Amino acid sequence: MATSVAQKTPAQRLLDVLGPVDRWHDHEEIGDFGMPTRAFMEDMVEPLAKAGLGSRLGPLEKVHAFWFAGMSCDGCSVAVTGAQAPSVESLLMGAHPGLPRVVLHHPVLNVESGPNYLRAHENALKGELGAPYVIILEGSISDETMAMAGTERDNYGYWSAQGEEPWGRNGENRIVSTDEWIARLAPNAAASIAIGTCATWGGIPSADGNPTGAMSLMDFLGKDYRSVFGVPVVNVPGCPPIGDNFNETVAAILYFLQGFGPLPEFDELGRPAWLFGETVHRHCVRGAYYEEGTYAETFGDPECLVEIGCWGPVVNCNITSRGAINHVGGCMNSGGACIGCTMPGFPDKFTPFYKRPPGSLVSTAAARLLGSFVKPLRRYTSAHLNREVRWDLHNEVPSGWAREQSEPSMVQGRGTSSTT
Amino acid sequence: MCFKNLPVDFDEAGGARLREGIPDPYSVATAIPQVEQTEEEREAQIQRLMAQNGHIKDLNMDPVTRVAGALAVHVTADLKEGVYLDAHSQATLFRGYEVILMGRDPRDAIFVSSRACGVCGGVHSHASAYATEMAMGLAPPPFGTVVRNMGEAAEMGYDNPLHLYLLAGPDYSEAVVRAVNPELWPKAEKWSCAGQEHHGFKTMADLMTALNPLTGALYREGLEFTRLSREMCVILWGKYPHPQTVIPGGMSTTVTPQTLNEYHSKLGRIFDYAQRLMAVWDDITEFFYDADERYKEVGARPLSVIESGYWDDPYAYDATYENSDEWGQRRWSTPGVVIDGELVTTRPTQINMGWEEFVEHSFYEEWSGDRYATDPLGNPISPYHSWNKRTLPKPEGRNWKEKYTWATAPRWDRQVVEAGAYARLLTTALAQKQPPNDFIEATGHSIKMRIPKGLTPEAEVEWHIPEQWNCFERNRGRAYHYVMSQLVGLASLLEAYKLTKQGDTRIAAMSPSELERNIPKDERRGLGWWGAGRGWLTHYLVMDRGKIVNYQITTPSTINASPRDPWGQPGPYEQAVMRTPIIEDVSDPSKFTGIDMLRAIRSFDPCMPCTTHIHTGKGTVVREVNTCSCGVD
Repeated sequence: MATSVAQKTPAQRLLDVLGPVDRWHDHEEIGDFGMPTRAFMEDMVEPLAKAGLGSRLGPLEKVHAFWFAGMSCDGCSVAVTGAQAPSVESLLMGAHPGLPRVVLHHPVLNVESGPNYLRAHENALKGELGAPYVIILEGSISDETMAMAGTERDNYGYWSAQGEEPWGRNGENRIVSTDEWIARLAPNAAASIAIGTCATWGGIPSADGNPTGAMSLMDFLGKDYRSVFGVPVVNVPGCPPIGDNFNETVAAILYFLQGFGPLPEFDELGRPAWLFGETVHRHCVRGAYYEEGTYAETFGDPECLVEIGCWGPVVNCNITSRGAINHVGGCMNSGGACIGCTMPGFPDKFTPFYKRPPGSLVSTAAARLLGSFVKPLRRYTSAHLNREVRWDLHNEVPSGWAREQSEPSMVQGRGTSSTT
Repeated sequence: MCFKNLPVDFDEAGGARLREGIPDPYSVATAIPQVEQTEEEREAQIQRLMAQNGHIKDLNMDPVTRVAGALAVHVTADLKEGVYLDAHSQATLFRGYEVILMGRDPRDAIFVSSRACGVCGGVHSHASAYATEMAMGLAPPPFGTVVRNMGEAAEMGYDNPLHLYLLAGPDYSEAVVRAVNPELWPKAEKWSCAGQEHHGFKTMADLMTALNPLTGALYREGLEFTRLSREMCVILWGKYPHPQTVIPGGMSTTVTPQTLNEYHSKLGRIFDYAQRLMAVWDDITEFFYDADERYKEVGARPLSVIESGYWDDPYAYDATYENSDEWGQRRWSTPGVVIDGELVTTRPTQINMGWEEFVEHSFYEEWSGDRYATDPLGNPISPYHSWNKRTLPKPEGRNWKEKYTWATAPRWDRQVVEAGAYARLLTTALAQKQPPNDFIEATGHSIKMRIPKGLTPEAEVEWHIPEQWNCFERNRGRAYHYVMSQLVGLASLLEAYKLTKQGDTRIAAMSPSELERNIPKDERRGLGWWGAGRGWLTHYLVMDRGKIVNYQITTPSTINASPRDPWGQPGPYEQAVMRTPIIEDVSDPSKFTGIDMLRAIRSFDPCMPCTTHIHTGKGTVVREVNTCSCGVD
């Protein structure tokens, strides 16, 4: 099917320039260079990680995962090493019951370096991997055609690169950009997953001033991209993402492929719907302050942060319920205002930071009004519930902590510590 | 102090001025450092050996894995003589963060620049806060600084074990040693570990097995402890690696007794682990030294370091450049420059005067013009200083003699210095200036640390200044730095209790609305001196009319991964590789793995994400290159 130039995706345009490849490293010549265990990580781990037939709950024994750090800060990798549900080591060791082991090719974790690290990548391109693979991108895609422009064909300039391959015209090694790897590997991947806001929506590298043409994986592969399993790009945003959000998404896909899990639901932007279907405000530990119309005025205050720059009511994120790591932390839980880091509009639609979102003016004023009714009623009921029935009967509170408090009325009584 | 190369003299009152009568004092042709071997000499030597020796290999290790970010190292190795004749360190990523910061509100700098690095985002947030505070004249209240110190101790608690067990550790594991150093294995099986009572491993072989990637007990425990420390971070910061609560003038953390107690309880679990960690890296070091003296040369470099200081005295820090010598020298880790083991200075202003950055071998165009001839005190600074830097990124083909990396070449007084957590120990030990406290004592030749009791008994440990850096001393130093950082965390926690007791819990200098009203409209400069898990970290900010007009970051890995400078001096990674002997058995050249060089490089704890997106100036957006027929609009 002919596609006009205008309709081509950035990935297709890049491959049009670079052309097909059919030469590979001579691994006899490279020998053990960069492989200090003289064995691939996959083979080293296999004896312990491979499941016997009895514990395989589905058709897949293993899945390769090629992790690319594009224009990234490695923060998504760091976030994933913090995950617990499931943990990265349990996925790699085949220690999460029912799941295939994940053979991860990750530049921060693998033992082998250099051309030996890239051997599995070559095998995937050749179709000789012997198992399905997924590609995972952390960091934005750069526009390599910008960096290549005006530089020599077999010694191109680049923004973001990983390794060399003998893909020069005469078989000489040339630097391979991360984008090129992705453009070549995505069509035959079982899934293409973007982790973090750079890969899902372009993130900070694509913010105003963007000198590198930075864009998201969806922007790069285009609307019509489907993996070999028919799946568009899966997006797990966040800057950084919650590690468990990512590992849970990967696990949910694998539960489904193994045949025992439900079809995971994704929203219209490819986000796992069960993780990003709610706003961060709906589960916020400070949310009820909003309902009562009570807001933090300065940094460190315990109340709702919306007037000091929190965008929580309109941001799709689950950090207030899940926490950042091991259910600990969470932005508003600790006093941080939401700056919308999971959103496609991040950062430029949220800056300057610490300024109240303009849309909050109306709603906070309305909440103040409502709160002026709700708050006294709640105080009244709370004070009532803070008394034993016995104390009501004897009309005294035998607490040495405060002066005895009479039954509060709507007029008097501010909480439980005051009688006048 | 005096500079060796830069033409800057000091008068009797300590004021600095340029030596008179020198037409172009900072020209690279004027102040020339002493260079051990020029590029021409090195090239000639390689050609000579090439001609007579068929065992010379020219190899590019791309990517180097188990480092953060994109790093490649090109080497020329003489397998017959067992030496590396040449090395080129390459940072293979550019993202343009500071281009993106141009023209933005200064309040955005912290959140944007934190994203420079996801391995150590917290340190960038803080460095950015310091730069912003200096420019805006905001001094955080003591409680704000104390909470910062607590968070930054916790970040080191995650960062150091991550490196030691996930990144560097596998190079010393059974899986690697049995493959590349099989001669060591029988010895390891017999070698009794001196630290057995701490770490529980009877022999070195047992310990090495525990270092195996994924399957080893130490590897997995290391991962767990990085998680524990990250929990401590997010109690204060909301999330990690990009904290949500670091703000100009302090913190926005809501601190309650629960906050302090949860931090306290997690910290309490760390000191037992800290003792195990030190014992492991002491034993590894001693084993390799004992096995083969040549290991002392793996990754060797002289004791020449630069350190920006870390963790402030909450009662001294006032965010001014004018008083930076005062508050800077009262930090827990003393700023300083050490050249060949001699402490040259501990004054931040003098460190700043000697600072320059060069791009001869980097994918940038030279910039021209110097905005500032002096610092805010009138001391001379170079046109190559980061406040003056206007770099134009220019991707091009790689050429070892010309441009081959996205990193630049920072130098101090035109000399090659290295940064590291261990550099922090060195300057602190020599300077003996840290605040009075119950836990850490600098002796002039060592640092003594008193570790409180956990499940294991209390202990006093001592880090001694080594004769030179090498891969083992860097790793060992990092293990001791872990302990030091956790003790700073404990001391800061106790200070937080004290301030809470006094009711002195104001955590930020200004409220958000005051902050908005106080954005200065005149031209201001800021410098955030801070530290990372890998040492030195600085952010430079220039603002005018309420907007950022220049932003520069120099990270420890910018320093360590630097390419050649204008005089042909290789950067620290390159120097370290060229000093490294090839100890592994390469009688069959196809068995050459490069392990000795990899141990050397990884011991620096390379962290490339924040090394490589760092240079900018107005007009950096190179739209004119976008003329390729297939380019985007």
